[in-house]
Amino acid sequence: MPPPGPPLPVTDALTEPFWAGAREGKLVIQRCRGCGLYIHLPRPACRRCQSFDLGHEAVSGRGTVYSFTEIHRAFHPVFVDRLPYLVAVIELDEQPGLRLVSNLVRIAEPDVRFGMPVQVEFEQLIPELTIPVFTRVAP
Amino acid sequence: MNGRRVAIVGVGYSQVGRHSGLSERHHAAQAGLAALDDAGLTVADVDGVTTWGGDAIDFADTLGISPVNWHLNVGVSPAFITPAVHAAMAVATGHSEVCMAWRIMMQQPSGAELSAGSAALRSPDMSDAQFLYPFGDFSPTQWAGLLMNRYLHESDCTEEHFAEFAVAQREYAVRNDNALQREPLTAEAYLAAPYISKPLRLLDCDYPCDSGSAVIFTTEERARDLRQPAVLVEASALAAIHNMTFETLPDMVRTAPVHCAEVLWSRTDLTPADVDCAQLYDGFSVITFQWLEALGFCDPGAAGPFIAAGGTRLTGAMPTNTDGGACNVGRRHGANFCIEATRQLRGQCGDRQVGGAEVAVWANAVGPFAGAMLLTKA
Repeated sequence: MPPPGPPLPVTDALTEPFWAGAREGKLVIQRCRGCGLYIHLPRPACRRCQSFDLGHEAVSGRGTVYSFTEIHRAFHPVFVDRLPYLVAVIELDEQPGLRLVSNLVRIAEPDVRFGMPVQVEFEQLIPELTIPVFTRVAP
Repeated sequence: MNGRRVAIVGVGYSQVGRHSGLSERHHAAQAGLAALDDAGLTVADVDGVTTWGGDAIDFADTLGISPVNWHLNVGVSPAFITPAVHAAMAVATGHSEVCMAWRIMMQQPSGAELSAGSAALRSPDMSDAQFLYPFGDFSPTQWAGLLMNRYLHESDCTEEHFAEFAVAQREYAVRNDNALQREPLTAEAYLAAPYISKPLRLLDCDYPCDSGSAVIFTTEERARDLRQPAVLVEASALAAIHNMTFETLPDMVRTAPVHCAEVLWSRTDLTPADVDCAQLYDGFSVITFQWLEALGFCDPGAAGPFIAAGGTRLTGAMPTNTDGGACNVGRRHGANFCIEATRQLRGQCGDRQVGGAEVAVWANAVGPFAGAMLLTKA
């Protein structure tokens, strides 16, 4: 039996730009063409102006840590060897409350601070899947 | 609640336990019959059924409840409060005379099975999960770790306060024959338990098991002639503020319970000061902390010191989770809190009875969604 792979996104027109962007080293977020609201997770309509005219844009990749947790128990075979690892909620600089789930890398849990500035980088898990992860911005 | 006044007249459990070997249907039949026996009713009296877990019509059919005039299977929702509120509304509006609400909860695969690949988390829809799973974010323990960490950051609470909460819950469980975990617990033992998603520890999580719970609602008028002292539904509320991705909540500290509690108190002349005991969801212990604050039993951010000062103990300002909570009675997904609130108002709780209890609140869930019900002694 081959070793298990990472869980793969099952994409559609709304979500593919995020993953295609990650493969190209860009953080791409859905945005309303009507009112300019960034939307994550992707949705078919804008919750602020109810427009269906939505696109995707590359963002700066800068943000801050809203919350984080150090994972000590895996719930999927691929992550067993990674324990412990950091799952974090990152608030992107583009818009208050614009948050995404990611991993914090190259930092130990005791060194993470709430509100800490972070910057995106990209980690290729397998050729088909690159994920945006975040690292501390050098002070 | 508008319409006819509604009462809880029967409560019951199945043979709750770890890997019980019984089916959902079996748990539903056992719990339903236990609740009917408690009430002094028979299957012939029931004309409405609701459930989360399994199929209410199938459960009714299994017990020979026919015909059924009101039925509902709820999907993902704030635990038992949803089938309970809808059963109560069916009675209030005259859609049902006697309505049974179930929560049937089967034990989920363990972390060991999942990490070994011998079991997989159910994922019916990857449209949102694709933004979580590739980052190793699979389990409710992980959003709970995020909520708990942010809560610790913003509040006066410490990990030692969570230890005190676990100890207080276990003290109640020691006095509850139905609890699955009844060995006394020390704060040191809590702090020595492994982290799952730091700062969330093993003993912050409810205890996995198979469970069936049933509660019977009918009119106040009908309740007068039944076996148990009637317990009345004074008010209830269901609230939601966000989609089901807890990780992207706009505020992880002030979540749906805040709005839900405001709605609940707006529907009654009673106030937090009138409540004699509180039964507040503890699927993860931080949820109870949020509810204590949301319902006004302590100041915002002060649940930790409130608990550490004994506020939730039997002699405290607000006896809370007096059955021991789901961390100790097992994962009954909020139904245990409805049943415990009912038994407290009946005065049937023995060593853990809150003296003179006349008003109780029970509340379920956190984050995107929440529900609460205020009960009074008739």
